[in-house]
Amino acid sequence: MAKSYQEINEKIARGEAVVVTAEEVIGIVKERGVKEAAEYVDVVTTATFGPMCSSGAFLNFGHSDPPIRMGEITINGVEAYGGLAAVDTYLGATQPSKDRGIEYGGAHVIHDLIAGKEVHLVAKSQGTDCYPRTELDTWVKLEDLNEAYLFNPRNVYQNYNAAINGSSQRLYTYMGILQPNMGNITYSTAGELSPLLNDPLLKTIGMGTRIFFGGAQGHVSWMGTQFNTACPRDDKGYPQTPGATLALIGNMKEMDPKYIRGAVYEGYGASMFVGVGIPIPILNEEIMAFVAVENKDLYTNVIDYSVPKKAKPTLKKVSYAELRSGSVDINGKSIKTSPLSSLKMAREIAEELNNWIKKGDFFLQEPIQSFPMGNSLKGLEIKEGESR
Amino acid sequence: MMTKKILLSFPQKSAGQPMAMELIKTYHLDFNILKAFIDDNIKGTLLLEIKGEEADIEAGIVFLRQNQIGVKDIQSVVEVDENKCVSCGACTAVCAVGALEMTADWSLVHHDDKCLECMLCVKACPMRAIHAVI
Ligand code: SF4
Ligand code: SF4
Repeated sequence: MAKSYQEINEKIARGEAVVVTAEEVIGIVKERGVKEAAEYVDVVTTATFGPMCSSGAFLNFGHSDPPIRMGEITINGVEAYGGLAAVDTYLGATQPSKDRGIEYGGAHVIHDLIAGKEVHLVAKSQGTDCYPRTELDTWVKLEDLNEAYLFNPRNVYQNYNAAINGSSQRLYTYMGILQPNMGNITYSTAGELSPLLNDPLLKTIGMGTRIFFGGAQGHVSWMGTQFNTACPRDDKGYPQTPGATLALIGNMKEMDPKYIRGAVYEGYGASMFVGVGIPIPILNEEIMAFVAVENKDLYTNVIDYSVPKKAKPTLKKVSYAELRSGSVDINGKSIKTSPLSSLKMAREIAEELNNWIKKGDFFLQEPIQSFPMGNSLKGLEIKEGESR
Repeated sequence: MMTKKILLSFPQKSAGQPMAMELIKTYHLDFNILKAFIDDNIKGTLLLEIKGEEADIEAGIVFLRQNQIGVKDIQSVVEVDENKCVSCGACTAVCAVGALEMTADWSLVHHDDKCLECMLCVKACPMRAIHAVI
């Protein structure tokens, strides 16, 4: 028996919807079978909380008197983009500050704004007839801004590589610190709780899907950058390598600083931990079968990050159950594994979204457009010559 | 017999070494200097592991304090700030001895007795939730 978005939303409004997390649903499907479980469960909540570099905020400061057309802009010493209209800017999460470098970057400013802190805004301009002011130095809070929304071009990767270091030097990467001589393996996923691994063919997640985004209700606004639905898949359709990604949008003024945090990867740069939860409507048995996936059936590749090439060698294909076990055997040697994204926080987010839906505070939004399948990645060719 | 880690801070003029001799003689305490720092000739810091009877250790600490030496109990040279920690696990990647570990429910635990004081975790933590006590 198929269900529609509208039927599920009506159940949510009546307080009758059955909502469980993507971890809880595994046991329900084992006990009742896919068919009965699909009738019983209405919504499955998925979540992730991890580093997502491709993130940032659009901010509008309002006009000063006399007004300025902001050119060079810094917020708490972090440069923001000055190529938009007079008092609009985009602040990127990984932008380091001029004084503290990567220890305090765009992501930290965003966190501080969401936490209600006052930030130091400095802007310069050439001065124009309509915007005569040439300098500005002031302090602002999130509540003082007209609009402030996160627009993250690439979040919630559907699957990601695990990292190892085959060289004799310690490596400092966005996959954390990798010890020499294959000393450790790091991985970054919520596995069976991860949003896009529960909807591998994007049957329910598309443009317009309403989500938990940093503690606010946000939306999927577009396919994420480096969207790779042409990735290799297993026979059921689950990606075996990095696959789809999502561009997300949400109002910073409704966010919780707990779920948006500045991060520092030593020797690499600043990044942002982003908390995202996505509800999956159980429209039919096919979708129920997808969300019942377990860590033992989800695979990724252990990649040697010491090779300074785009195509890095794969040492082993491993399941998330193996990675979660604490060690993986490679060439007869047991190598310790460590996570980089927080399963504990992801579970908290899945529960929180679950509560919102059960209380009737959050309704499902059917996508207004699905994302393309079979979309592959292009590389960048380096072409010779001074002019063309 | 018990073993305890203490962090001593003393003004540069009060010499650490004679005090230490006094500890051995008067209070029958064995000790190991784990780390020693001298900060711009303003103050010195010594991380000691002391071994002895509980009463002797206590009396020794009273003696040090009477001599204007700061004494702080140290469980471990690194501390995890629970308000900043998100239990991501990045620090466990570099902790070779398992002093930092994920529990069954994927929270971070810090077994301070296992720590080797390599300080690698301080740099590995993306939240900067781990800081060195000394
Ligand atoms: S200082 Fe070294 S041994 Fe101690 S907890 Fe940190 S990584 Fe582990
Ligand atoms: S790396 Fe930092 S935030 Fe992550 S678990 Fe360790 S102490 Fe907590």
